Amino acid sequence: MKLQPYSEAFERFAATLSDSERSTRGRQLQRFLTLGFPSKREEDWRYTDLSPLADKTFGLANEFGARADLKTIDGTERLVFVDGRFDPTHSSAAQFHGELPTIETPAADGLLALNAAFAASGLNLQLAANEHLDAPLHVLFLGSGDAAATMSHQRHRIVLGAGASATVILEFARDSGGERLATHTLDIELGANAQLRLHRLQFERAGANLLTRIDARLARDARLKALCLDAGGGFTRHDFNVSLDGAGADAEVHGLYAPQPRAHVDNHTRIVHAAPHGRSREHFRGIVGERTRAVFSGKVVVQPGAQKTDSEQRIANLLLSKHAEVNAKPDLEIYADDVKCAHGATVGQLDDSALAYLRSRGIDAATAKSLLLRAFAIEILDHVGYAPLRRHIEDILNFPDDPELDALIEAVS
Amino acid sequence: MSKAMLNIKDLHATVDGKEILKGLSFEVKAGEVHAIMGPNGSGKSTLAHVLAGREGYVATAGEVEFDGKDLLTLEPEVRACEGVFLGFQYPVEIPGVSNLTLLKAAINARRKYRGGSEIEASDFLAWIRDRAKIVKIDPKMLSRGVNEGFSGGEKKRNEILQMLILEPRLMILDETDSGLDIDALKIVADGINTLRSPERATVLVTHYQRLLDYVQPDFVHVLARGRIVKSGGPELAQELEQKGYGWLEAA
Repeated sequence: MKLQPYSEAFERFAATLSDSERSTRGRQLQRFLTLGFPSKREEDWRYTDLSPLADKTFGLANEFGARADLKTIDGTERLVFVDGRFDPTHSSAAQFHGELPTIETPAADGLLALNAAFAASGLNLQLAANEHLDAPLHVLFLGSGDAAATMSHQRHRIVLGAGASATVILEFARDSGGERLATHTLDIELGANAQLRLHRLQFERAGANLLTRIDARLARDARLKALCLDAGGGFTRHDFNVSLDGAGADAEVHGLYAPQPRAHVDNHTRIVHAAPHGRSREHFRGIVGERTRAVFSGKVVVQPGAQKTDSEQRIANLLLSKHAEVNAKPDLEIYADDVKCAHGATVGQLDDSALAYLRSRGIDAATAKSLLLRAFAIEILDHVGYAPLRRHIEDILNFPDDPELDALIEAVS
Repeated sequence: MSKAMLNIKDLHATVDGKEILKGLSFEVKAGEVHAIMGPNGSGKSTLAHVLAGREGYVATAGEVEFDGKDLLTLEPEVRACEGVFLGFQYPVEIPGVSNLTLLKAAINARRKYRGGSEIEASDFLAWIRDRAKIVKIDPKMLSRGVNEGFSGGEKKRNEILQMLILEPRLMILDETDSGLDIDALKIVADGINTLRSPERATVLVTHYQRLLDYVQPDFVHVLARGRIVKSGGPELAQELEQKGYGWLEAA
């Protein structure tokens, strides 16, 4: 039987559940078994082939694996998950960890059904009206290094009341264990005039299969500022859906993908303007090298009545190798007539004349190249407002910051 | 007789498979200023790029020695560290890489090449400020991307600034004077004259005689169809200014 390893894993998992949970989740599993993983025949999955996952056996992580080399970010509170399980020892903000009610309604697609069937607890951040989260919340998803192939599925939620504000960092970083499959769903609801800064960072190693889906709904004047960073070596697919439901809502979704060799990164974003006076900005940049495939699809929908929408989408890619592939697709659907919608997509190569110029000044080719790549990436990283996070990212990207140079720039300015 | 710093013998070079330099020879001794003049398409810029090691400019025959070393086998960055500097005809804009980043990396690359340590921040800043005065560039501009949003004249002055900061031994200036108004031209000339010394040599590639009123050359070479067709003293530049290049083409 197809997908049998998944039903077997579910049987073992179901043994730990209450009767009602078992039957609700069992229905979601049945739905997954019926629908299967999304197929390449579907337009949204044309470039991301999940079919190999169907034939693999992922067990649910049994033992709780500890993880020693925790890389924290200054000034943040932490939630840590190891192999999809909550790690209270390393978490300083346990109050934001929580179980979400099991989803009763049949999931919209196979992937969501799989997640709903197995979903474990995750981030559950709920702020009351005008509540402000002082420290950024750093949510870490780590691996234990377990050599067996394991999977984890988690559900998360962020609900900000009217006027509330928070900064959240979701970081996916694996160790060198066996093959992994992880699915994550995150529902975001921003009340009127609420503000969320969200960062999704992905530094997975090869052997990781990471599928995330974020659905955000913005009420009147709510502001979402999101940064998506993919610099890992695994197989990843991210769906990021934003709906500007209230008038004057503002969404910025920016991203940088600089995957490791042989990695696959797919970003599908969908921004729906459902109310007037909304503003959206989307700026993605990709640095794609040796035997790497990147996919970007950016859909912007302006619904009837969403007049005075102001939307801009920019996609730029650098291809560093003949064996690199980028599929970038802007996709606009506009059903209102008094709107401003700009978009542009480019695919190019590293500027040879800039490289030659730097070398002619004595800078070796490798250093010159990294200066140019950093320059290309910096426009996206400039959207990171929190300085310790910026340093954390530049560290991992191997873009060492030069505080001395910053001081010099300060001195001449 | 002192040995030549730069010795070019029967240099042939191609660009995109097309032969542009067809057997070019001359030598430059320390302390000398040589002007290379000639009509458009004669190979002046190609010569400058071949000497600096630009990719795509292929020396197919002949020799170029710099301080007794075979220059043509060295990577462009090594040539720079050895003391060769090319002032670009069309300086490149590099948004996102600040001028200070470039200058610091370039200074430290040279120091590393010579086995030295990195420059101290305070020394670096003092040096930059000192040199920026000569070319009348506001140091504030150096926090911006390399040549980003600079006017044509600012770009050329920025080339001279880089040269003043890096203090090369062989300065090759590829039409640095083109497109400059008289004030900017004087600033550029001041920069070149500041570095003029018995230990350094200069090769000025130029289309116009005007620069040579401010930077007196010791020798003038006229390039046509990939060869030097005439060499002489400063008076040759005057002659070219009066007669144009037509008579050489015919010769």
